[in-house]
Amino acid sequence: MPTIKLVNVTKQFGKGSLAVDKLNMEIKNGEFVSLLGPSGCGKTTTLRMIAGLETPTEGEIYFDDVCVFSDEKGINLSPDKRNIGFLFQNYALWPHMTVRKNISFGLENMKWPKDQIEARVDEICKTMRIEEYKDRYPAELSGGQQQRVAIARTLAPNPKVLLMDEPLSNLDAKLRNDMRAELKRLHLNTGSTFVYVTHDQSEAMTLSTKVALIKLGILQQYCPPLQLYGEPNNIFCADFMGNPSMNFVECHGKKEGDKIILNTKRFICEFTPNEPIDVPEENEYVLGIRPEFVNVSNDGLTATVISSLPSGMETTLSVAIDDIVLSAVAFGSIDFAMDSEVKINFSGNRYVLFDKASTNKLTLGSLKVIQ
Amino acid sequence: MKKRWNRIKTFFSKPYNVLLVLFIVVLGFLVVLPLFSIVRDTFIVHSSEKSRIHQAVGTFTTYHWNRLFLSEFRKSLLIDPLRNSLLTSAWACVVSIFVGGSFAWLVSRSDMRWKKFLTKLFIFPYIMPSWTLALAWKNFFKNVEITGSNGIFHSLTGLTVPTWFAYGEFPIIVVTGLHYAPFAYILIGGILHNMDANLEEAAVILKTKRLRMFWRITIPIVMPAVLSTIILVFSGAMASFATPQFLGLPVRYYVLTTELYASINGTNPGVGYILAMIMIVISVIIMFVNQRLIGSRKSYATVTGKSANISIFHLGIWRTPISILVFFVVMCMSVIPLVTFALESLLAYTGVYDFNNLTLSFWIGRAQGHDTWQSEPGILRNREVYRTLWNSLKLSFVCSLGAGTLGFLAGYSIVRRRGSFISRLVEDLTFIPYLIPSMALSAIYLSMFSSKHGIIPSLYGSFAILALIGTVKYLPMASRSGVNSMLQLSPEIEEAGIVMGVPWVKRMTRIIIPIEKTTIVSGYLLPFISAMRELSLFVILVTANNRILTTLLLFYDEKGYTQFSNAVNLLIIIVVLLINFTVEKLTGASIEKGVGG
Repeated sequence: MPTIKLVNVTKQFGKGSLAVDKLNMEIKNGEFVSLLGPSGCGKTTTLRMIAGLETPTEGEIYFDDVCVFSDEKGINLSPDKRNIGFLFQNYALWPHMTVRKNISFGLENMKWPKDQIEARVDEICKTMRIEEYKDRYPAELSGGQQQRVAIARTLAPNPKVLLMDEPLSNLDAKLRNDMRAELKRLHLNTGSTFVYVTHDQSEAMTLSTKVALIKLGILQQYCPPLQLYGEPNNIFCADFMGNPSMNFVECHGKKEGDKIILNTKRFICEFTPNEPIDVPEENEYVLGIRPEFVNVSNDGLTATVISSLPSGMETTLSVAIDDIVLSAVAFGSIDFAMDSEVKINFSGNRYVLFDKASTNKLTLGSLKVIQ
Repeated sequence: MKKRWNRIKTFFSKPYNVLLVLFIVVLGFLVVLPLFSIVRDTFIVHSSEKSRIHQAVGTFTTYHWNRLFLSEFRKSLLIDPLRNSLLTSAWACVVSIFVGGSFAWLVSRSDMRWKKFLTKLFIFPYIMPSWTLALAWKNFFKNVEITGSNGIFHSLTGLTVPTWFAYGEFPIIVVTGLHYAPFAYILIGGILHNMDANLEEAAVILKTKRLRMFWRITIPIVMPAVLSTIILVFSGAMASFATPQFLGLPVRYYVLTTELYASINGTNPGVGYILAMIMIVISVIIMFVNQRLIGSRKSYATVTGKSANISIFHLGIWRTPISILVFFVVMCMSVIPLVTFALESLLAYTGVYDFNNLTLSFWIGRAQGHDTWQSEPGILRNREVYRTLWNSLKLSFVCSLGAGTLGFLAGYSIVRRRGSFISRLVEDLTFIPYLIPSMALSAIYLSMFSSKHGIIPSLYGSFAILALIGTVKYLPMASRSGVNSMLQLSPEIEEAGIVMGVPWVKRMTRIIIPIEKTTIVSGYLLPFISAMRELSLFVILVTANNRILTTLLLFYDEKGYTQFSNAVNLLIIIVVLLINFTVEKLTGASIEKGVGG
């Protein structure tokens, strides 16, 4: 089972439009990697380059130690020689073939014996729970069933690498949730390497073992999802992950020993880095606060409730300290009256300090309100 | 009682209900009644048949049916024309799908050169009148044996063209096939172009060999387009009159339409009416087959997708030779015919392709008396030409006004009452003229309006009957476009007006018509252009008094005035192209987009 390695992979469409810029990443054997980013960031292009459906402008791609693409060496292995499976966003089921035929078509190409093909089709249909639709045409299936047929067709030849291009985006919310669980199960059962393209951060969070967050063709961060959530490399990563998204408060900071005093114009607080860092005496910062770390309690800063959206399990709040608006999450079934006053404070050491000029993360630390 | 009265009142308080009822009455009179009238006409004696049946005009007779199905003339009147019609239509399908399909593939999937330019020219034959290529063929390949003079091909090569190549079956097939090739290109190319590239990519990833992919994935997916092309080309070829008339008549090769024309213009219209019924039956069968095919389980609606990057097939060393070959074929279909018309219209003596033999006389010369080489004035001096041109324009205008307006109103009322019985009835009624081949429809109108009986006036020889039949024939076209455009307009837009108390006329003129402006314009444009180049629909009904440009062309051709017929033909083509071009520029609506209607 292969490890996929991309070295300086670049893709340029036409003149001047860089879809992917010098991408370096390694997808280890058996991982479930999500390529995440806003639309047009180059994630689908990257996936298609791994598949061989798109030819990179520059760079090299390796499957284990086998070079499948290199612009310098002039190597470009065609998709059928890369032993991959590809799941298309719109399923790409052949409309003129029954479900059975759709699945067996690829196996026939690989010259499998007839009885084995039949056995494999039966087996995979059972796994994907589409047994009773085997003789139907794609147009006679619902979206979710078509989706499962597409997965079955892709999995039937036991590909070692499964590439998926937003496979759940055409499904309704409930089905999408079911399919997520199914995909995760499938990953475990097949042991294959999964590469998954999505623009939905919660999908990437919940499914993958590692997330590659891409912006405008440039890889921003490549790490396990919880790390991406907790320790984002820069403001873009922090903002992209999480819903409701992170609060960003601009502030002026003064160094005081190993602490930094942050002045936000409306309140002043003391930031203690988790590890000592080297910062200038004075600097402009952006403080990143996850909504769940804004505690609504009996003491602390006074804030006005702008909106309160209870969803049963938790309540999402918008609170304002003068013109600084923060979202907060209060767990449990509680509601807050609009325009009422609440007190908020901060606890824990998961507050992120960004450099305002470069937008890069400096460190994580704890926060104490002084005034 | 009061309740029922109230219900009727509410029903008629809705403008679209009033419209629907009106449509049922009018279409019943103009479309359904004639169908019965023609059946009656196959059983009675007509005035031109007095000498052969020896019975009073209008009496009951089975003479026509006997003659057509049981007499010794069965073969020449029915079997041969039927066989010829079916054969030429079937082969025309093959030609058009081969030519149009290959062209579609080359344009959408290969790296052929000059694509943009070639596609523009390839569409040409579709905009031009259907006989354009037939006349060009004749100009090019005619031989001395049949016409008394040789064509351009002979003068270029010195070879005499064999008769089978110049006239009859073979050229009819080729010419009809080429005329409909743009159809095939537009339908098949549309699918090839929009076909989701993922469908092929999925096959590549599953290790499908190139050839297997072509046969098992690409071909089956374009199959529906191929089928609908077959249906359209077949029924179009079955109904075509001008091509077999120009190319078949010199060698007495008859198809159903030309036989029908000969019978009705000759001494046995009764037989013609039966032939018309046979054509209707065939056309209904084709429609029925089409319905069955479309309603199959494999829905292809899911096929199209975003095809950002279709893999282009590289023709390699064949790129230039293929491009040149295609260029040559396209030129033969679009430009060269026009050149031959111009050339032929300038020859003082036909068949002599010599620089000294060129003259503008047939365009601007004066008439020189009856037995001279120019018995009539040049067409730009000819009052008859101007009269027919004016007639043609007037007729096209009236037909497009009638069909376009009725089509829009029908579309509006059908969509507003969608799902109800009355709306479906009107929709079906407006569709019937589409099922009836032009020639058969005009036979029907001839039978119905030839003399006054009951509430039906005698309209034979009048402008009104031409306007009427044109309106009816193009109604399906216009009402389909009306339905489609109204379907895209949500009823809320009108309801917002109702809520604010805007009266119906104002809602139509101030809300709906402005929104649907472009589709309404194309609803008028299509009938106009169709009427301008229509021959088979009008040819039976036209008399010397109300001649139009296309029948004038036929008249000159039948008389053997080659220069005049070529000049008139060029005139028609120029007018059609001018109108098409102007409207396309003005509205952005184009005839190519209306294909399939």
